[in-house]
Amino acid sequence: MAIGVKVLKRPTERTSYLRATLKGMALTLQHLFRPKVTMQYPEERSTASWTISGRWRGTHRMLTDEQGRAKCVACGLCPQICPANCIKLVPGEDEQGNRYPLIYEIDEFRCVFCGYCQEVCPEEAIHVGVHYENAEYSRDRFVYDLERLCAQTHPVSTLWDPSDPKGE
Amino acid sequence: MPDGLINLTVDGVPVSVAPGTLVIEAAKQAGVLVPHYCYHPGLPVAGVCRMCLVEIEKAPKLQIACATPVTEGMIVRTQSSQAKDARQSVLEFLLINHPLDCPICDQAGECELQDFVFQEGRAGTRYAEYPKRFNPVEDFGPDVLYVANRCILCTRCVRFMEDVAQEPVLNVSERGDRAYIGIHPDARLDHPWAGNVVDLCPVGSLLSKDFLHKARAWELDKSASVCTGCTQGCNVTLDVRDNVIVRVRPRPNLEVNRYFICDHGRMSYRWMNRGDRIEAPLVKQDGELRAVDWDEALDRARALLRGTRGRRGRGGAAVAIVSPKASTEALFLARRVLAGKEREHEWTGAFQVTMGEEAPLAGVPNLALRPERAPNVKGAELLGYTNGVSSALRVAQTAAVVLVLDEPDVPAHGAGALIYLGVTLPESARGADIVLPIANVAEEEGTFVNRDGRVQRYFPAKPAPGMARPAWWALGELLEAPDRPGSAAEAFDLLAGTVDAFAGLSYAALGVTGKGIGQGAGVPA
Repeated sequence: MAIGVKVLKRPTERTSYLRATLKGMALTLQHLFRPKVTMQYPEERSTASWTISGRWRGTHRMLTDEQGRAKCVACGLCPQICPANCIKLVPGEDEQGNRYPLIYEIDEFRCVFCGYCQEVCPEEAIHVGVHYENAEYSRDRFVYDLERLCAQTHPVSTLWDPSDPKGE
Repeated sequence: MPDGLINLTVDGVPVSVAPGTLVIEAAKQAGVLVPHYCYHPGLPVAGVCRMCLVEIEKAPKLQIACATPVTEGMIVRTQSSQAKDARQSVLEFLLINHPLDCPICDQAGECELQDFVFQEGRAGTRYAEYPKRFNPVEDFGPDVLYVANRCILCTRCVRFMEDVAQEPVLNVSERGDRAYIGIHPDARLDHPWAGNVVDLCPVGSLLSKDFLHKARAWELDKSASVCTGCTQGCNVTLDVRDNVIVRVRPRPNLEVNRYFICDHGRMSYRWMNRGDRIEAPLVKQDGELRAVDWDEALDRARALLRGTRGRRGRGGAAVAIVSPKASTEALFLARRVLAGKEREHEWTGAFQVTMGEEAPLAGVPNLALRPERAPNVKGAELLGYTNGVSSALRVAQTAAVVLVLDEPDVPAHGAGALIYLGVTLPESARGADIVLPIANVAEEEGTFVNRDGRVQRYFPAKPAPGMARPAWWALGELLEAPDRPGSAAEAFDLLAGTVDAFAGLSYAALGVTGKGIGQGAGVPA
């Protein structure tokens, strides 16, 4: 059974595509003369109108003391608080009898970047970083060991806005 | 109310206690923990920390709950504002010189100073104008480190060494804020029970070198167990981290070890973590041991036992060489496997036990590290095993079947078949016909009978490796089908129903602190 289709008769000037095409091209042409908003990443990493927030939580960084040793004392709070269970820590003792981490590894694939590790750290050693370029050639490179965490140089997260008194 | 008891009220809760009870103990019965440092039920009262101050009605000043005996009609308030203020001030004083090194302190998480400061301490200190005093870490003895900075001078360690160990090598040296725990210049803290000062220390001042930096308190899984070091049968707690036992601590049992264990028991846990375990049943095929599953191994073992039973009349016998470290259930089932339900078959059972020096704890009657260094010597003797394996080994030469239960040091192989149950595969078991992997004491539940005939349960702390199963299960499966116990409780109840010495006891009624033989319901001692 055929469906009854009602065909309307319209004048040509209303059914022609020409007008709509010209209108669209005019809009496109207009954009050529507007200011550019595209950032030329990776040649360009930040612009005046776009910077990465100081509260960004990215891959970790371990801060070091004046002698270049990790500030971590292996207290075990970060593996305890970590909701993703991505921190592996084995404590040990150095020649001076100080407690330090023998093994400290963070699996960045497992990490959910909540920042709890930084918040809980009593020594301000482990931090989440203001950093987002993490590409690697192999998956196992995403388990950061202590040496790698200490070698990171990117800025660390502030976790909350320092100018906001209610932030902390 | 029974006669001779004293009635008092602690925080509105009425309690009745025996005369002479201290307020702090009466408060415990009322469900109130009065914060305290120097008081310990296993030590004489000192009353030096002033932490347990409570308000007692009609007393002019606050009283220390640890040194005040109860009186009739006493009304104690532990949470009045006066008492709370006093305790807060005590905590503030204690924290003047206490370092803020909880992140690296082994006691963190089980520290009484941490707990009580968190519970009722001040948020800040008013004594910040001078730097904290500093003293270096001292080496006190083979397993004890003294971190003077963390010390709160409760003197528990001093009193333990003086009154319980009765070897007074510690004292409080100097006075006032310079005071510290001193050790005799010519002495070391090497008493065989000295490790208890580490447990007694309410803060992280006395540390075990063995446990130093090994684990944090909150990572540990704790399970009740019984020490395997000697026949005393001290109650212990096994602290496990990631399925590795990292520490043994005493578990209070007033009938056996009170609050203490010796250093020998404290250190004898490493063998429970050994990695060279048998993980699958092995049977001999073409002269070689080959791994099989449990069904096949048990079928082979049952067939072997049935086959030898017929030959025993012709001079063949069954011999069991057992370890006195095996559970009572396993020892009983080993006997039952060989001797039958009514002990109708000829069998010989024997064990050997390593001997050592006896080391008593002077201040506690009937508590010592015993010379027999195995937990279940009494249990083996009650079940008819003889101490000393020489005569059993002679019988084993001609026996039709020899069953060895986790005894690696006895070369028991004779002319007959050898069934070996063990945690490892020693040289002496290489010639066995069947090897069954069993769990060790930390991986199964069961009971030991200590030298005074006290039957005590221990509980599993970690999983057994591979296919290893508890010895009571493996031996139980060798029985005829209707008798096979399905749990350690059933195995024990089978034992209690069969062996007169254990009559009246039940697994559930043993609880966590055990019961003496003859203390079962309705059975005269």
